[in-house]
Amino acid sequence: MLLALLLVSALTQDSTVAKPLPTRERIPRTIAIDEVLADQAHLHVGDRVSISPLPNTPGDTVIIGAIVRRGADPSEVARGDLKVRLHLDQLQTLSNYGDRVDRFAIQTKPGTDIRSLIERVNGIAFGFRAYPSSEIAVETSRTFQVVSRFHRAIGIITIVASSVFLLCIMVLKVEERRRDIAALRLMGISRATVVRAIITEAALIAVLGSALGIVLGWLVSVFVNWHYQAVYRTPLAFSIVTPMIVIVAVALSLALGVGAGIAASLRLVRQPPLALFGR
Amino acid sequence: MSESPIISLRDVRRDYALGAERVHALQGVSLDVVRGDYVAIVGPSGCGKSTLLNLIGVIDQPTSGTVTIDGKRVDDMSDREATQFRLRNIGFVFQRFYLMPILSALENVALPMAEAGVPKDERVKRATGLLTYVWLGNRQRHRPSEMSGGEQQRVAIARALANQPKLLLADEPTGELDAKTGTEIIALFQRLNNDGTTIVVVTHDEELASAARRKIHMRDGRVVDG
Amino acid sequence: MRAVLAKASLVRHRARTMLAILGVAIAAAMLLDMVMLATGMRESFRQLLLTRGFQLRLSPKGTLPFDTDATIGDVAGVMSTLRRNSDIREISPVLGGSIHIAVGGRDVSASILGIDPKVQGDYEVLSGNDVTAANAIVVNARLLGELRSKIGDTISVSTGYDPQTRSYSGQRALVVTGTVRFIYGASDQSAAAVRRETLQEMNAQLPTRAGDRASLFMIRVRDSANVEATRHWIESQLPNVSALSIATAIAQVDQRLSYFRQLSLILGAVSLFVGFLLVTTLVTVSVNERAGEIAVLRAIGVSRSHVIEQIVVEGVFISLLGAIIGLALGLATARYLNSILSAFPGLPMAIDFFLFQPRAAWSALGLLIASGIGAGVYPAFRAASLPIAETLRKEAIA
Repeated sequence: MLLALLLVSALTQDSTVAKPLPTRERIPRTIAIDEVLADQAHLHVGDRVSISPLPNTPGDTVIIGAIVRRGADPSEVARGDLKVRLHLDQLQTLSNYGDRVDRFAIQTKPGTDIRSLIERVNGIAFGFRAYPSSEIAVETSRTFQVVSRFHRAIGIITIVASSVFLLCIMVLKVEERRRDIAALRLMGISRATVVRAIITEAALIAVLGSALGIVLGWLVSVFVNWHYQAVYRTPLAFSIVTPMIVIVAVALSLALGVGAGIAASLRLVRQPPLALFGR
Repeated sequence: MSESPIISLRDVRRDYALGAERVHALQGVSLDVVRGDYVAIVGPSGCGKSTLLNLIGVIDQPTSGTVTIDGKRVDDMSDREATQFRLRNIGFVFQRFYLMPILSALENVALPMAEAGVPKDERVKRATGLLTYVWLGNRQRHRPSEMSGGEQQRVAIARALANQPKLLLADEPTGELDAKTGTEIIALFQRLNNDGTTIVVVTHDEELASAARRKIHMRDGRVVDG
Repeated sequence: MRAVLAKASLVRHRARTMLAILGVAIAAAMLLDMVMLATGMRESFRQLLLTRGFQLRLSPKGTLPFDTDATIGDVAGVMSTLRRNSDIREISPVLGGSIHIAVGGRDVSASILGIDPKVQGDYEVLSGNDVTAANAIVVNARLLGELRSKIGDTISVSTGYDPQTRSYSGQRALVVTGTVRFIYGASDQSAAAVRRETLQEMNAQLPTRAGDRASLFMIRVRDSANVEATRHWIESQLPNVSALSIATAIAQVDQRLSYFRQLSLILGAVSLFVGFLLVTTLVTVSVNERAGEIAVLRAIGVSRSHVIEQIVVEGVFISLLGAIIGLALGLATARYLNSILSAFPGLPMAIDFFLFQPRAAWSALGLLIASGIGAGVYPAFRAASLPIAETLRKEAIA
């Protein structure tokens, strides 16, 4: 929050817009900036800049000590924030915040029981609460829960739509062969055999289609990540193809494909063979 | 009966591909049919009689040779010209009737008139008249599926006469009919010819062939007699 | 006659036709939804921003309104500078913050706006009165419920709260004079409003928020044609602020939500393609079955173009009926999807992601019907161009 108060104005050593060095800081301290800021403001390690809490007010001259890569943080995506890291005491002084912080992040020793530690801290501490990091993550990712729900809804609609499309095309394609089916039936081939043949064909198409779909889906996933990682300048993975997703997708498309084949074939074999010839 | 030929073929050949083979369906056929004649083309299966009829009916084009119908060369017409020519000059009757199953008898007969731009009232009047002529005046609203084979063929004949064509061509018109029904069709053709219609039929049916004034025998893509 | 033939042909295979219509309807519904998604948010946001007629917004430089805790200082100075421009008709300064109220031993927090009731454009009064007095406060229904209060009650409101010591600062007794609906408020947000001077006085004790400050200025320009010119003028006169026109604000939001536009484009294109594929398949199967009939029509003298017309009309029938059903289906699914996305934290209640705009909708459905025409043309042309004699021969054999 406080970071957003800081505005960075670049001061290079040969700048003609020279401001007198404020008296507060004589020895410039170092800061770290994120790669997007470095890119947008054309800053490099070693550059001197001035940071202040308000625009066009005196601030501290600092040296860029490091450029930091963005983390895979979903809440950063799509926001135009530029991040700067300062030494805590410098930020507190600069922003008149006093001897305060927004939060403490605690790393425990391996094997520590987090729950009991939290209980103890909450029992002792006065006026603040400790949370496991995972709970905070859930809270801050509400936006993405909404996006997830939206995706799920789109997914369900797509599945329903695909089922109808598949059934439609299957019925049409099977009907195209009504004369062939009639001829088989007239020859004495049983309904069950005809249905089995069509289902086998449908299953084969479904298997091949699923395989193609998985490859296509994986390629699209790779492209989506490549594209959005570049757009939002983040290492965050936007799309992940997991084994479970593959299994569910294949199972669903097989079920739909075979189901459509069954429905289409049953429709036709129920009719008398001569009717299929149009007599 | 007028003497000027309404159909004139000169050295007509028709070849087409059947798989990898080349079939010579017609091998230099020349013949004339005078106006008002009633001709039966007969011959064994595969002799080229249906191919010949298709060329006369302008639904196919010869590989070489000329075909003249009512003084007009039809063998080199464009698709549009051929279609218009068929619509106004030729009536075709098929072995399998080929009525539109979704239209009534009246609508089937009126179909070519609609294409020729005949106004609706006139269409209905003429179609009714034609159905009466073929003894189906009381079956106008019936669909083909509600009619016997003979009735369907009579509707098909009425349709072929819709635009008062100069020629009536029939390809095995009794092929799908029993003997009794076939006799009805033969009688109808007789009546049409007596009323001045020029008729060419292709047939295996001896009775139908005998009813014609002239028989043309074909074998292996050639006219051998007639 | 052609329309009669086309309709009769479709009725002949009822189940097949219904299935195809259903398929096209689903494609149409998805296409409509994607068009609504692509344009809805932007239009909905634009309508929201224009609700009270303020065309410009000033926020601390480099920020979007209420995006951060930053504020603009010397409000009086800013106002006097702005009043020098005769194009500016009205200025509404707004100070944002948060308040805390102790209710039965627990702390209730809410966001607060300090406004000028004569020119404010942030809320509409639902019941009671606006904040005409210095010690008046108006609240939204959610906050009123949390406080278990009613209009007329006096509540103790603080702008500072130290959770460690559980102490309040910037405290003041305020009378609830009315309930309001915040135009830009989110559904899960408790909010209140007081006069800006009141909020400033309450903030006086807080070092980071003291002084004559505002989070945002909303500006109404006399002539809409001069909005951009006014914007440039403001930025030249006030280097500490960013001036946002509606267009700029929308562009910023567009950029953040570009994902939804891209998604809508892709899914919309896929829907259109699938609709096209369905109609093509249906028409192809239909004409393949009727090759003999079509050859006979040609044989009796029906022209190729008329045969094509009849077949294309079948495709159009399906697309048209599918589009009509799809319209109803699409509106229903849009409502459902909108309800999901409306749960975005902090999203103003008035924002819709899916907005029905007649022109866009008709264009989309028109596109679907046009694709239905296109889908029928090729198979129809092929069927009508088959050699007549050969087709009849094949049909006879079959």
